[in-house]
Amino acid sequence: MLMKLVKHEFRATGRVMGLLFLVLLAAAVGANFSIQVLNGSSLSLLRILGALVMSAYVMAVIGVCFVCFFLMLQRFYRNLLGDEGYVMFTLPVSVHQHVWSKLMVTAVWYLATGAAVMLSFLILGYRAGLVRDILQGLAQIFRGITAYYALNGTAIVLELLILAFLGCVAFALQFYASMAVGHSFSAHKIVWSVVFFFVFQFASQLVGALLILLLDETPVHQLLLSLNFRLEGMAGIHIGIGLMAVVFAVYGAVFYAVTVYFLKNRLNLE
Amino acid sequence: MSVLECNGLCKRFGRTEALDRVSFSVEPGRIVGLLGPNGSGKTTLIKLANGLLTPSEGTVTVCGRAPGKESRAAVSYLPERTAIPTWMSTAQLLEFYRDFYPDFRMDAAREMLDHLDIRPGQRIKQMSKGTREKVQLIMVMSRAAQLYLLDEPIGGVDPATRDYILSTIIGNYNPEAAVVISTHLIADVEKVLDEVLFLNRGQLVLQSGVDQIREEKGMSVDALFREVFKC
Repeated sequence: MLMKLVKHEFRATGRVMGLLFLVLLAAAVGANFSIQVLNGSSLSLLRILGALVMSAYVMAVIGVCFVCFFLMLQRFYRNLLGDEGYVMFTLPVSVHQHVWSKLMVTAVWYLATGAAVMLSFLILGYRAGLVRDILQGLAQIFRGITAYYALNGTAIVLELLILAFLGCVAFALQFYASMAVGHSFSAHKIVWSVVFFFVFQFASQLVGALLILLLDETPVHQLLLSLNFRLEGMAGIHIGIGLMAVVFAVYGAVFYAVTVYFLKNRLNLE
Repeated sequence: MSVLECNGLCKRFGRTEALDRVSFSVEPGRIVGLLGPNGSGKTTLIKLANGLLTPSEGTVTVCGRAPGKESRAAVSYLPERTAIPTWMSTAQLLEFYRDFYPDFRMDAAREMLDHLDIRPGQRIKQMSKGTREKVQLIMVMSRAAQLYLLDEPIGGVDPATRDYILSTIIGNYNPEAAVVISTHLIADVEKVLDEVLFLNRGQLVLQSGVDQIREEKGMSVDALFREVFKC
């Protein structure tokens, strides 16, 4: 049943995301043309047109990222908490399956958006020398990191990308939880959702601050010092990124639990 | 075994008592009218049976199970509002129902859609409100479910559409199943009912067979309703 939910979720989101990706790639082709032809023109009108096409491309990149993020939130709101919720919550599937299906599709679209933006960069730089320059620049950075720290720079970049992905998914779960709690009220559901988003934000910052205090001002700090960890620079960064990934996973898991609890026990469709 | 059973069912929203110790059971093969004025708790009761709300006290079971993933496979539910996804085409909607409900009768659904001249490629959002309601009803009645919970199926529609809706219900439900129709338009549904449940201010005030009402009270269900709920 989970895969059936995923299938229909892809169908619902794919028609919008597919169109957006096409617009983005078309804008990238336009921007490439602008770099290669229009910008070098002796006519100022063509140079202005080139600048406009470039700014349209930049807007398309920003727009695709924003729309992807907000479409995923809107799907959760409309499909589960709006009128469609009457159909969705009477399907023979569990609440866990509903939330997972949304999360899986969201994650895939985040990755696809990242890939589409990268592809648009490649199109933008095609034959304009930009691709070569960017790749050479990246290779130089990786070589520099590897030579200086004697560790694989590429691994660090990949770890950071995974961390960013986990962060986006955890953040989406925070939105899901806010909407699930906000919609459990009988009136002003959207207002309550916004209020709870900020409540959760404040609570997570408070917990973070308390954890830092716990590590710094309590016997835990002395205990950690007594363990006498000796970490080389790069190993410390790897462990740091790993710990951040665990923090994001826990952060997401807490909001997942809140979302499921409220959808299961406090559902209050209009 | 009863298809739908409530025991001491209560639902409170803050200080408001939407349902107050409601107990009854519905047997298979019966068409039951869940009747009461607006705000009497009909929709709340149907939502509880579907697991869209959780009881404050008491229990509700469908085919012996508490509302959940398993019980939903046995229930075909028509909400009081149009809830089918409007971005879908009719063909996609048929596929959606076929994917999730093994008891969905694709042929019956297609036949009813053809009868209304609805094309498979037509999007739900392009349809009028009345057609959307009919499409939703067709999806619900194309299932061979064990319990049909129909919340206000004839509310807010013209008399010709009412006839269409009632004939679709009667012509397509699984005869071994129970059908619960919630409404306050008694005169229109009376002819199809076997049994009635009267709800008033969250309390069950009467459960009786329609024939029994006619024989014992010498009046129609509509007349009895007007007498019981006289303002």
